[in-house]
Amino acid sequence: MSADLVVEDLTAGYGDAQVLHGLRLTVREGEVCAILGPNGAGKTTLLRALSGMVRTRGTIRLGDAALTGRPPDAVARLGVAHVPEGRGTFMPLTVEENLRLGAYVRRGPDVETDLERVYAYFPVLRKRLKQAAGSLSGGEQQMLALGRALMLRPRLLLLDEPSLGLAPIVTRELFGIVRTINEEERTTVVVVEQNAHLALGVAQQAHVLETGRIVLSGTAAQIQADEQVARSYLGYRV
Amino acid sequence: MSTTGTTEAAAPAPVRQRRRLDRRWAGLALLLAAAVYAPFQLVPFHVFQLTMVLVYAVALLGLNLLVGHAGQISLGHGAFFAVGAYASAVLLDRWDLPYPLTLPVAAAVAFLLGLALGVPAMRLRGLYLALVTLAIAIFLVPLLKRFEELTGGSMGLTLAKPQPPAWSGLAEDQWLYFLTLAVAVAAFLLAASLLRSRVGRALHAVRDNEIAAEVMGVRLSFYKTLAFAWSAMYAGAAGCVYTWVIGFVSPDSFTVNLSITMLAGLVVGGLGSLAGPVLGALFVMFVPSIAQDVNDAAPGVIFGLLIIVVMYVAPTGLAGLAGRLTRKIPRKE
Amino acid sequence: MAGFLQQVVEGLGAGAVYASLALALVLIYQFTGIVNFAQGELAMFSTYIAWQCVAAGMPFWLALVVTLAVSFAGGMLIERVVIRPVEGAPELTIVIVTVGLFIFVNAAAGWIWTFLIKDFPNPFPGGALEAAGVSVNWSTLGVLGVVGLVMGLLYLLFQHTRIGLGMRAVAADPASARLVGIRVGRTLALGWGLAATVGAVSGVLVAPLLFLEPNMMGGVLIYAFAAATLGGFDSPAGAVAGGLIVGVAETLAGAYVGFVGSDLKVGVPLVIILGVLLLRPQGLFGRAAVERA
Repeated sequence: MSADLVVEDLTAGYGDAQVLHGLRLTVREGEVCAILGPNGAGKTTLLRALSGMVRTRGTIRLGDAALTGRPPDAVARLGVAHVPEGRGTFMPLTVEENLRLGAYVRRGPDVETDLERVYAYFPVLRKRLKQAAGSLSGGEQQMLALGRALMLRPRLLLLDEPSLGLAPIVTRELFGIVRTINEEERTTVVVVEQNAHLALGVAQQAHVLETGRIVLSGTAAQIQADEQVARSYLGYRV
Repeated sequence: MSTTGTTEAAAPAPVRQRRRLDRRWAGLALLLAAAVYAPFQLVPFHVFQLTMVLVYAVALLGLNLLVGHAGQISLGHGAFFAVGAYASAVLLDRWDLPYPLTLPVAAAVAFLLGLALGVPAMRLRGLYLALVTLAIAIFLVPLLKRFEELTGGSMGLTLAKPQPPAWSGLAEDQWLYFLTLAVAVAAFLLAASLLRSRVGRALHAVRDNEIAAEVMGVRLSFYKTLAFAWSAMYAGAAGCVYTWVIGFVSPDSFTVNLSITMLAGLVVGGLGSLAGPVLGALFVMFVPSIAQDVNDAAPGVIFGLLIIVVMYVAPTGLAGLAGRLTRKIPRKE
Repeated sequence: MAGFLQQVVEGLGAGAVYASLALALVLIYQFTGIVNFAQGELAMFSTYIAWQCVAAGMPFWLALVVTLAVSFAGGMLIERVVIRPVEGAPELTIVIVTVGLFIFVNAAAGWIWTFLIKDFPNPFPGGALEAAGVSVNWSTLGVLGVVGLVMGLLYLLFQHTRIGLGMRAVAADPASARLVGIRVGRTLALGWGLAATVGAVSGVLVAPLLFLEPNMMGGVLIYAFAAATLGGFDSPAGAVAGGLIVGVAETLAGAYVGFVGSDLKVGVPLVIILGVLLLRPQGLFGRAAVERA
């Protein structure tokens, strides 16, 4: 059974303000899809629409399951892990508690195995287990957020600006791990990113969003080669 | 949208506003005329009831300044009412002060007490004001009982009621009614002009958005404390008139239930409007006495349910509902 | 000295009751940011349920279990029916709604059971334990024991169960809690049910010491507010410590400060609340400073 993410005629917004105007995209199971575009294009809103945080119209399907109209907790129970803007860390709780919350919708002994798996990806977290999450550095918090998302054993992982506020070296490490996760676990990933170069480095396909519409789609290589994109988002080659 | 709405909307804004103001003043004048006429038509007991409505209306006007306009919660308004009542009673009992003089003194005492208690409570969010005022309301009763030589303890103080001067030709109940009416009208005008001034705008800014108000340069704690002190002053004045009208004060008349009933009445009457306190006062006066015939607990059940329902469906209370029904144009503030 | 210790012990007994109601207040505050002014009245209502069960011939401890179960369900129901519609409304609105609930529950109890005082059975044996010149009533010990037990159970729930972890996640960040798949609405209702249960314990404990009547908890509520303010509204452990401190302070003030005596003791919580607000607004154990105006 395929678990492709299929989005059709998706509109979404806040109150009277419509942000997304009829998006259509497909992410095949096990692929990484990068969403690029300027500020205010609706990238974050797209992720929020996928995880049920904003009201939407249109169709969102993950495999056989229709996600449209479901609240975020129900979407999470269908295997969608969303690492939101600001990372969604439970600051007063410990690192371990944060990770266990990632697996909240699952039960059983697998949770312990998965904790080990996350520590293997992020050894630094093991050292901070009993520390309050709020006391971690920005990079560590982003790792915690990613680790927490993995604890769900997601079928679909949504990442919102993972590079935000992080040092370049940390960002590169993080994207390396995203790539590993995608390769080893065959997790489908949708990543929104300002740093197009990094994002295209891990993605198989990409979409460029402007004012709530997809203006360009293609494979990562095609997008990378596009002059317009290069000028606007990659910052080299004039 | 009705057709009257559209023609109204077509009129230039200042004219429309003027027309509405004129209508409002005409309505108030009519109401005042009725209020003056009423005591000559009613039996003394009903005159007394109306007098009490006015007393409560003065107290609720003050509570409305704080809750309705500044958005702060007091569960101890009855305590300041009691302070005013006792201030007046002690002055009359101890020093035989002429009764008109007790009004400014009672109001001033309540004002100062409100200021003193408002300073610590207002440094923090409204929540703590609710806690502190509730604690004050509960503490007041044993405090009044303790200072027996001054307050008469549990027995309270019995006083002579103000007598009508011979020239007026009025009966006692009518004279008390007119005294109260005069105080109520003065209190109403004071509140109305206060709210139309810069201060009123500052209070609304505090209520609607504390952070924005602060950015705009409104000194939050100053205005919150001031609103609290004013509301205490109104309660004190109302309490003083209460003493005149009833001629008796005792601690058990001012339990925490009085405070809670006042808040309930105001919420049902309508927060943040000028008519709200009057409607609320009618409520405070008549609902308990009518409902009590059913069961001692009936007023509480009715009040409790009504408050919750009002907060769900009509946060502006009866006054807001009436406004919505009479005015077809939706109100935009 | 023995006399002083005696007062302290009695203060602790009273304080344990305040602590359990304060705990109920803090539970709800942590989840929802709401201070539930009706908490004391809900506890009073629960106590009447226990009284009714005992009057119907149930043994005390069975009646207690029934009462706690009913209170739990009642708390959840109230969250659903009364609080949910004003979720996210301004604080003023929510406080007024809980005040409305206060009035309603108080009057409803008066309607059902009248305002006449009822005797409530004391579950603990009479008499006292004598040690070092101090005599400790068995009922004081019992109250302390029960509150300790409740504390311990809550600790286990929050620190060592999945549901408890979910509840703490909701308290910390409801939006993120939703993203990890927690049913936040259900969890909030659970929090109210739990608070009502803890409150019911305080009602049942205080009823034999006071008299059971609809206004029984009004005074206790003020002490519980003082306890929660002192301990910090975001700290369950602080609420318990605050309750014990308030209880001891009240008893000592009543015994040794001539002016206070037994009748003005109810001024102690007022003084404590004002003092804490002036000197340390976040309370003794509160984490962050409460928002300042």
